[in-house]
Amino acid sequence: MRQSIVVALNRTFKHWSLLPAVVLFVALTIFPIANLVRMSVSTIEFAEGQARWTFTPAHNFSLLLADTVLWPAAVNTLVFVVVAVAVEMALGLGLALLVARLGRGKGLARTIMVLPILVPAVAIGSMWKLMYNYDFGVFNQALTALGMAPVNWLGSTSVALASVILVDIWHWVPFVFLVLFAAVEGVPNDVIEAARIDGATDAQIVRRIMIPLLKPALAIALIFRSILAFKTFDEVFLLTSGGPGTSTELVSVHLYKVFFEENQLGYGALLSLALIAAIVAFLAVSRGALAAGRSA
Amino acid sequence: MKSIQRGLCALAAVALLGIGAAGSAGAQQPFADVGKQPPITILINSSPWYAGFEKTVELYEKQTGNKVKLDATPYGGMLEKARNAVRGAKSSYDLINLDTQWTIEFYEGGFLVPYKEVDPAFDLPKEVLTYGESGYWNADKRFRSAQGGKLMAWSPNGNVLLYVYRDDLFKAAGLAPPKTWEDVLAACAKLQDPPKMYGSVMRGERGNGIRFDWMYFMLGKGAAVVRDPAGGDYTVTINSPQAKAALDLYLDVAKRCGPPNAGSLGQGDLIQLISTGKAAAGMVVSAAWNNFDDATKSAVVGKVQAVPIPRPADGKPAALLGNWNMAIPKNIPDAQRKAALAFSRWFLTAGAQRVYAEAGAIPVRDDTFRSDLAQNPKYRWMGAYLEMQKYASQELGYAEGAQVEQILGLRLNQALIGEMNSAKALNAAAKEIEELFKKNNRRTGGLTPLPE
Amino acid sequence: MPLTGRGRIVGYILLGLAVLCVVGPFLWILVNSLKHQIDIFTGAWRFTPTLANYSEVLFSRRSDFAGNVLNSAIVATASTALVLVVGTLAAYSLYRFEWARWISGAFLGWTLVFHMIPVLTLVGPWYIAFRQLGWYDTLGGLVLAHVTMNLPMTVWLMMAFFREIPPELDEAALIDGCRPLQVFRLIALPLAAPGLIAAGILAFIFSWNDFAIALNLTTRDTATVPVAIARFAQQYEVLHSQMAAAAVISTLPALLLMAFGQRFIIQGLTLGSVK
Repeated sequence: MRQSIVVALNRTFKHWSLLPAVVLFVALTIFPIANLVRMSVSTIEFAEGQARWTFTPAHNFSLLLADTVLWPAAVNTLVFVVVAVAVEMALGLGLALLVARLGRGKGLARTIMVLPILVPAVAIGSMWKLMYNYDFGVFNQALTALGMAPVNWLGSTSVALASVILVDIWHWVPFVFLVLFAAVEGVPNDVIEAARIDGATDAQIVRRIMIPLLKPALAIALIFRSILAFKTFDEVFLLTSGGPGTSTELVSVHLYKVFFEENQLGYGALLSLALIAAIVAFLAVSRGALAAGRSA
Repeated sequence: MKSIQRGLCALAAVALLGIGAAGSAGAQQPFADVGKQPPITILINSSPWYAGFEKTVELYEKQTGNKVKLDATPYGGMLEKARNAVRGAKSSYDLINLDTQWTIEFYEGGFLVPYKEVDPAFDLPKEVLTYGESGYWNADKRFRSAQGGKLMAWSPNGNVLLYVYRDDLFKAAGLAPPKTWEDVLAACAKLQDPPKMYGSVMRGERGNGIRFDWMYFMLGKGAAVVRDPAGGDYTVTINSPQAKAALDLYLDVAKRCGPPNAGSLGQGDLIQLISTGKAAAGMVVSAAWNNFDDATKSAVVGKVQAVPIPRPADGKPAALLGNWNMAIPKNIPDAQRKAALAFSRWFLTAGAQRVYAEAGAIPVRDDTFRSDLAQNPKYRWMGAYLEMQKYASQELGYAEGAQVEQILGLRLNQALIGEMNSAKALNAAAKEIEELFKKNNRRTGGLTPLPE
Repeated sequence: MPLTGRGRIVGYILLGLAVLCVVGPFLWILVNSLKHQIDIFTGAWRFTPTLANYSEVLFSRRSDFAGNVLNSAIVATASTALVLVVGTLAAYSLYRFEWARWISGAFLGWTLVFHMIPVLTLVGPWYIAFRQLGWYDTLGGLVLAHVTMNLPMTVWLMMAFFREIPPELDEAALIDGCRPLQVFRLIALPLAAPGLIAAGILAFIFSWNDFAIALNLTTRDTATVPVAIARFAQQYEVLHSQMAAAAVISTLPALLLMAFGQRFIIQGLTLGSVK
């Protein structure tokens, strides 16, 4: 009896191993996604406690074209994502390679690195806002102590976006580090030893052996970090709400205002589909660019 | 054993309170007898007055034996939870608390049941403050007004802005409490000394912050966003010469009295600047008052005073309200509605409001303000608060309110940080608001644009 | 290949700098949690430390914070365990077996697109669905929601780690007479252990920190830590000192649970491993 169950489990392993994930996804994601798509081509109004849907795809699309805040938001988002993700990937990779080569303290280093992503976003936002404070913040205290003029971190249109990006970098380098560190740990030691015996330098080992072996993990880190960067909301909302002017307005912050604060469900849904399309395009382009860079 | 003891203690407390109240108020019944009711759940925000609300609710449970469950929710999650509740098949809450600018959506959407539909005999006691009648909805005019409007909500809390100033600094400089913005500018000429001291601070951050604070100037100069929304005339008047004068005055005060980061100041920043002694004065929300007198939060304990917000020298006093509105969702059974109304009736009694105030909350009854509480120096801001109630009004009381706020909040902020001049900012806002009304088929139009 | 000599000193200096940058703001929270608000406001360096914020957060009459931490611990632990099982199995299935391209492509694409949806537009439909299913306001419902939320990253991560395993290894094992389940359990899983730990830590953290979903699917009794901490961000001001204390308190159980979870995974995998 028991034997036959084991045999059956083995024979059907291919299928039942994928089944729970598929069931969960079918059960919990089809409704929200279908609902989102349906909303994006509709206008939704409420009367007598009931939602009234009307089919208005052209109208929703015209709102997209007439949206004066969307253009600066799209530009800011692109700058934000490219700068933040590039710096985070570089720092995360460097740290992962460094920590992996330390004899001791790996576990401790990993635990410490986790701290920034462990603190809830609302606490991170309020804390950095205090640190950036013009009159009392720790950064301006330091600048004044060094005899320099204080910087208007969040109140100046030329600095605010950089300030916000800095917070994102602090927050998310650990994410890249965690993924890449695990991958570095997985690289078999004998491969590297063999290269070393053949006389390879450190730089060569990293470039010729580590990076190619880490490619799958680098791709995952890049994909998931980019997606989250496009969706960045909490910290920016708490730090600047998109201001001053539109200098830190991101598409996700704009989406919040449209979909949530203004209750424009149809247009908001269309905006979020546009954001998804932008992410897909970004991932495709960066994949193409990386492939081209490698063959060149 | 312990629980019996606690029960006895509670009984004694109720008895004492009852006797005390009966003794002072004579024959008048300070609390309402609302009978036996099923348990209710209230959606309420975490706030400085939540503790007071909870204490009052506990007394209600002890007095009546009726159960009340409070879902204390972060401010940032209130609107979402309220929408979830009313849009679903059956609301999980029997009373929902709505910030004033959200109420229109809920009134227009038909999500709430008017109090008189639950009990035709129910009326707000005349002492209860109506905060610009934000709790009434006139469905024909699609406007919040007691004139032909139905009672949809009552306020558990209301705020106005107060002009808070450092009594010690003003006296030392020989300055009287300011009555006009021109007085404020004159005071700033003496007190402004950045970065050590800022003369007067107010909100300038994009969005609700600058929109709300600037509207005190706008109303003071007699300008308006829309000509007559109650009468259905949505002609946009935000780029009138009066509105420009109001914006120029606001910008003048920001530049001559404020810090270099005026364009990013929010309410939290104002509280910080005043309680650390960095700002000599400022327009801040009345809810912040307790901070300034609390030694763990303030370096200026006992040194601040409050007066009504100044008016323009050639203008009139004005006040905008930020109050909360407690409403009954439509999608609950009748017995639940009745229980929610019973609690409302009890909560608005003089007795309950007294307990509410003593537990640290701001009461919502006129007579509670005027009682012996007002003699307590802790409540020295109440005079200004009541004075402001006289001019209180609700702005943006139409379905497009949230979108108009976004437009104004951005354009005003851009004028403040110098991205465009005041005329250009107001012209841009006017154009966008007019287009918005057009799209929604309102009767609208515009003024001749201001010369830029 | 540990560093030696001068390289090692430079390495530790660089790491020290990195740790300082990472830990600095966290230490700053810690210091703030010991300050009264006025000292936080002025950015004071000299102040009298106080434990008042901690007692306010933990023991004030209206505080549910201990309960919130417990809810978070249950939800994060359970959802992490579940997502690791479900996600690792799915990843292994997709990596190891010959699925039709459209099936694996559709599944992976679907998960990735789902991951791109702004949470804001997702929670409304979930609220409706969860109420109808009777999962609203239950910890179990929140666990399922978090498993779904973390599944895309877990599947993709684990696939990347399975791909690093040389294919000769498990082919050899199969020829040696191991059954597919044994190959998975005794060869693939132990070799992918670092990935399993990374995926577990990330899933745990994203569950621990989720605000939007937890807000919509819970009420006061089932609320988790991020919802509780958000209560300190009020309409007009942030209660900085209490928020700092709450943030510090909430990190400790999370760190402990993660350390415990890592050990559990490693021990579970090495037991009976053929490595």
